[in-house]
Amino acid sequence: MLFKWTSRIILYGAAALVSLAFLAPFIWVLFVSFKSNAEIFQVPITIFPHHIVLDQYDHVMRQMSEFAIYFLNSTIVSVVSLGAVLLLSSLAGYAFGTMAFRGNKFMLGLVLVVLTIPYAVYLIPVFILENHLNLVDTRLGLILPYTALNLPLAIFIMRGTFRNIPHELEDAAQIDGASRLGTWYRVMLPIAAPGVAATGIFTYVMVWSEFMFSRALMLSKDAYTLPVGITFLQSEAQSWNFGVLAAAIVLTLLPVLIVFLLLQRFLVKGIMEGALKG
Amino acid sequence: MEELSAYAFLLPALLLILAFMIYPMGDSFYLSFTKYNFVYDKAPHFVGLQTYLAVLQDGPFITALKNTAYFAVIFFPFLIILSLGVALLLNLPLHGITFVRTSVFLPVIVSLALTGVIFQGMILSGKFGLLNHILGNVLGLKSWTHNWLADTRTAMPAIIAISLWKYIGFEALIFLAGLQAIPETLYDAAKIDGADSWQQLIHVTLPNLRESFALVGIWGIIQSVKVFEQPFIMTQGGPANSTLTLYYYTWINAFDFFKMGAASASAYLIAFLIMIFSLLNMYLTRGERV
Repeated sequence: MLFKWTSRIILYGAAALVSLAFLAPFIWVLFVSFKSNAEIFQVPITIFPHHIVLDQYDHVMRQMSEFAIYFLNSTIVSVVSLGAVLLLSSLAGYAFGTMAFRGNKFMLGLVLVVLTIPYAVYLIPVFILENHLNLVDTRLGLILPYTALNLPLAIFIMRGTFRNIPHELEDAAQIDGASRLGTWYRVMLPIAAPGVAATGIFTYVMVWSEFMFSRALMLSKDAYTLPVGITFLQSEAQSWNFGVLAAAIVLTLLPVLIVFLLLQRFLVKGIMEGALKG
Repeated sequence: MEELSAYAFLLPALLLILAFMIYPMGDSFYLSFTKYNFVYDKAPHFVGLQTYLAVLQDGPFITALKNTAYFAVIFFPFLIILSLGVALLLNLPLHGITFVRTSVFLPVIVSLALTGVIFQGMILSGKFGLLNHILGNVLGLKSWTHNWLADTRTAMPAIIAISLWKYIGFEALIFLAGLQAIPETLYDAAKIDGADSWQQLIHVTLPNLRESFALVGIWGIIQSVKVFEQPFIMTQGGPANSTLTLYYYTWINAFDFFKMGAASASAYLIAFLIMIFSLLNMYLTRGERV
């Protein structure tokens, strides 16, 4: 009995430590973002904020006009890419999952290839192509490759989702005279909602955080997305303001954090089911 | 008719994949056999294998290869062992374990760029960083405080530690899926045979995680070779090229020097390395198919 108690304490201690190790950087940034400059540059520094002030957020909102531009760029690029990926992958996934058609094996192969090939292989020709088409520094210039790069995995997930829906539902709709497109939209898509949610959160996390394509293809300040923009804010902030950087980090994280906490179960389920079928 | 409507559903997606993935894959393969400075040259000039030979003899490439090997040799085993440990913990019936799972997974959704900014700017920085504060003022180890990213001995280990923080959550989740798929009856049988928990781990858990090892392995290999944002943002490859990785070397060739031929060649060398190790991983985790 004694052994059981001690081992339980050790396990709970380990769980708490693991949790803290992964959360500590976030907590620290959050604390700094709520401190006043006087407190941040106090020696020795303090861990907990003594007075919670919103000065740093105020500064980001009012005086860092760049931050708002980066945020807007990231939002537009993410939302449009996400919409395009969801639409195209649920169309293609439906075909791969339910229609008599060769190419499923090919799709699986493509997903594996895409996952292992370094993005640099795609980026160099895309950079040359976009220079010729004047797509550099435009949002479309990011939306197109982001949509394409996320499609293989998205189609793969949607294909699995549609394949698991019983045939009878689809057949019944077609007997009632619904077209293929009508069946897809009215009958199949609502049932496939969990798969769409999983695909959506995967894609959103990928697009919101993508760095390399954005860094190579968006060359002027007005076109930067947040992952790129924040690295420039950092080099400025190091010399003058630490707290503003913390507030900017928190604001950058917030949208993806909210989406993650709301849709977490779909993401976790998606990865774990994928891991088993993989 | 059926085939025709299938094509209609597939067409938009396939067109985009063709334009932004398949065509680029072919084009960069062609470029890797050419000399092509994007700024000065009108068109790529075919030189065959010379591009590869030049890259393989380039001093910075050798440095980057060594640094990437250093990263991979330490990062990969730590990633596998720590992720498995975390997954075993997450699989226990403890109160609040979902909260622990969420916290472990949280770094996965944070972009590598932002991870770099957080660690360089707020954790590892000399004067006001969290780590030096804890070492010097809380633990009383003043002599350990250090400018971590500016020292050739600690810059790469710091990047490895940060990468582990970022990636363990994803790998642990894959292991967790594998653990939860092991039938309870196998453990019951082992217990009847008198196996203690250590023996159960060795003889029941690990052999049944083969598929998880295969997946975790391939993903870990990719992350071991594709090391880019961490040095790009935190160290710019320094100090003294000690964190210049293959991926970063490729970037510098392409977007600082605009040597698209050489950059394509080193990008394909990276792809080749990933392929070799993935095949090795597939071989090592192959199943006994009857």
